[in-house]
Amino acid sequence: MIVLRDVVQQFGGRIVLEIPALQFLPGRRYGLIGENGSGKTTLIRMLAGTGKPTSGTIEGLEGKEVGYLPQSPYAFSFSVLQNVELALNGHGDAKEIAQKALIAVGMESLMNARGDRLSGGEAQRMALARVLVRSYDVLLLDEPTSSTDVRSMDQIETTLKEYVQKTQCTLIFSTHSPAQALRLADEVLYLEKGRLVEQGPAATLFHSPQDERTKAFLKHWSLNS
Amino acid sequence: MKRLALVIVCVGLLFSAAACIMETENKVIQMSTTTSVNDSGLMAYLQPVFEKDSGYTLEITSAGTGAAIEKGRTGDADILLVHSKSQEEAFTGEGFEETRIPFMYNFFVIVGPADDPAGVADKATAAEAFQAILDSGSVFISRGDNSGTHSKEKAIWASINVDPTGQAWYESTGSGMGATLTVADEKQAYTISDKATFLAHENTLSLLLEETDDMKNTYSVIAISTKRFADSNAAGAQAFIDWLKTETARKMIAEFGVAEYGEPLFFNLD
Amino acid sequence: MIKQVLELLFGADPELRQIIGVTLRMSVLSTLISALIGIPWGVAMGANQFKGKAVLSRITNTLMGLPPVVAGLIVFLILSRSGPLGKLSLLYSVPAMVIAQVVLISPIIAGMTSNIVSLRAPLINETCAGIGIFGWKRLWLTIKECRIPFVTSVLAGFGRSIAEVGAVQMVGGNIQFKTRVMTTAIMMHTNMGRFELAVALGVVLLIISFIINSLVHRIQEQTLRDRTA
Repeated sequence: MIVLRDVVQQFGGRIVLEIPALQFLPGRRYGLIGENGSGKTTLIRMLAGTGKPTSGTIEGLEGKEVGYLPQSPYAFSFSVLQNVELALNGHGDAKEIAQKALIAVGMESLMNARGDRLSGGEAQRMALARVLVRSYDVLLLDEPTSSTDVRSMDQIETTLKEYVQKTQCTLIFSTHSPAQALRLADEVLYLEKGRLVEQGPAATLFHSPQDERTKAFLKHWSLNS
Repeated sequence: MKRLALVIVCVGLLFSAAACIMETENKVIQMSTTTSVNDSGLMAYLQPVFEKDSGYTLEITSAGTGAAIEKGRTGDADILLVHSKSQEEAFTGEGFEETRIPFMYNFFVIVGPADDPAGVADKATAAEAFQAILDSGSVFISRGDNSGTHSKEKAIWASINVDPTGQAWYESTGSGMGATLTVADEKQAYTISDKATFLAHENTLSLLLEETDDMKNTYSVIAISTKRFADSNAAGAQAFIDWLKTETARKMIAEFGVAEYGEPLFFNLD
Repeated sequence: MIKQVLELLFGADPELRQIIGVTLRMSVLSTLISALIGIPWGVAMGANQFKGKAVLSRITNTLMGLPPVVAGLIVFLILSRSGPLGKLSLLYSVPAMVIAQVVLISPIIAGMTSNIVSLRAPLINETCAGIGIFGWKRLWLTIKECRIPFVTSVLAGFGRSIAEVGAVQMVGGNIQFKTRVMTTAIMMHTNMGRFELAVALGVVLLIISFIINSLVHRIQEQTLRDRTA
């Protein structure tokens, strides 16, 4: 279980995230929704360890294997296959495992393409495969399908669901699409201006949001997107 | 109507500006001399007195001898003050009825390390000294820039039938006297210098040989003739040449350096 | 004059070739050593956040703006007979010129390298954190990703090296056949009024500079094209 206590993130005097109390239970799937600048990325980076909170504590991550896919993943200048093998750190069957992951995200035809010559959507799928080749206790994904086209969305989400099922990891992801949160998450967290406004089971939050701000946010989104 | 007035005013201003420039140009003499002469301080010493006496303004530029003389060819000088007979004669021989007028001289000196391994100090002529330097295998630094000093140095090597170019002990800097002395000091080597620059330069070298016949250095002035350049300030150049012959000028030249070094740096030619 | 310049350029003037030879020897050595010093320095600055990074950055920037004559003066004073390293008798030699140039060019390469690395390092670091790659492995990956831009910074350093005149004149002394390089030769011949030779050397220098600049430009364009493909 991951526990956040009195966590505050400040940049140059401005508070970008303030979470008095929050828990993530093991094996559950959490979706973070909210506008740009609401603090989703800040929260994920803190859990990933690349952003240290200005004050407060995060417990429960010590000794855990944490996988993290940033919002702008870097594509190295070698082949797509080699990019994914990178995460396997010299494992014996690295090539086969990497190939399987790439097929699962629909990149079979691009395995030998150069990583830094891909389109936005292709690079993102490669980065996702790169993070799914290992089993993690906690998987953090920051807007993993922001560049994915509608055609590939089904395949990606299915792959993700299978991964979570197989590894029983704690999944924490952010998304611009409330509909995607509904499809993938057990619990949804709505953030606004660095604060956790409302949290609850996905279906409940969408069909009967409690807070006015959550209602206002969801009004913009049709649940078919 | 307004536009016409503006044009007339501008043209008028331009003409008066041009008139002013032309007016002052006649009173300005462009003198081209060498870096050694400039570095010795002689011109800075003579200039204010000449300007007061004559009413002319002297604009002095200095460069290596070759470039200094070249200014006479490109119209950038009204008068040359240099010290390289062969190059001067080549210049006056170009058919513009110019003459070189020698007016003063001094001596080059041979300087080197205080312990004088080649035994230059007890030689009677520069030629003998150069031979001794060659025989002892000591390093010799040359200016290598076709200056008056360099020309004299080449003449001395020629007089003992030696061509030192490219040999390991002979280093040619292509630089002015000051820079060459610095290199010689650094390497504790021999070189030939004009006395004024050597005395004014901070180094640990010793003056080993001076005032031999084959180290006489003669300075001349050459007025650029209007046949070469029509608007050359020949009158101004002649005014300076005439002034050099006056008692005032000759006295100043004879006294220059006495207070500071205990001896004159230049001698008047009779 | 043009005829004489062309004759010099295409003729077999041995001194011209000799001068070009000394220049290349000095510049290649200066650039190589500056790269060996400057690239690790720049990588260290660009790849990490550490205490005192701002200070190091400021020092590097100041050194990048060091006037060549000042660098020449400092090296001159150190190497001269009356200076601390006088015993080595290094003044007025190619090694002395190389030393002065390394002082000038390493900060430049370091500064450029630092910029190149810090452009990519944050994203690389974030990605590597996500898949468990840290330390030397991450650093090595970062360097490999920047290898082509590194080439441009080294080429820029070489361009600075062959064009430099103040420091090499002071510590080299422009000695014929020994430390005379293209730039000091141009100055000297101009001072002597020998313009044809100066122009011929100037043309060679221009051609070399042009080639280097074109190479740098080509590489940068290619990199840009790759990135936006």
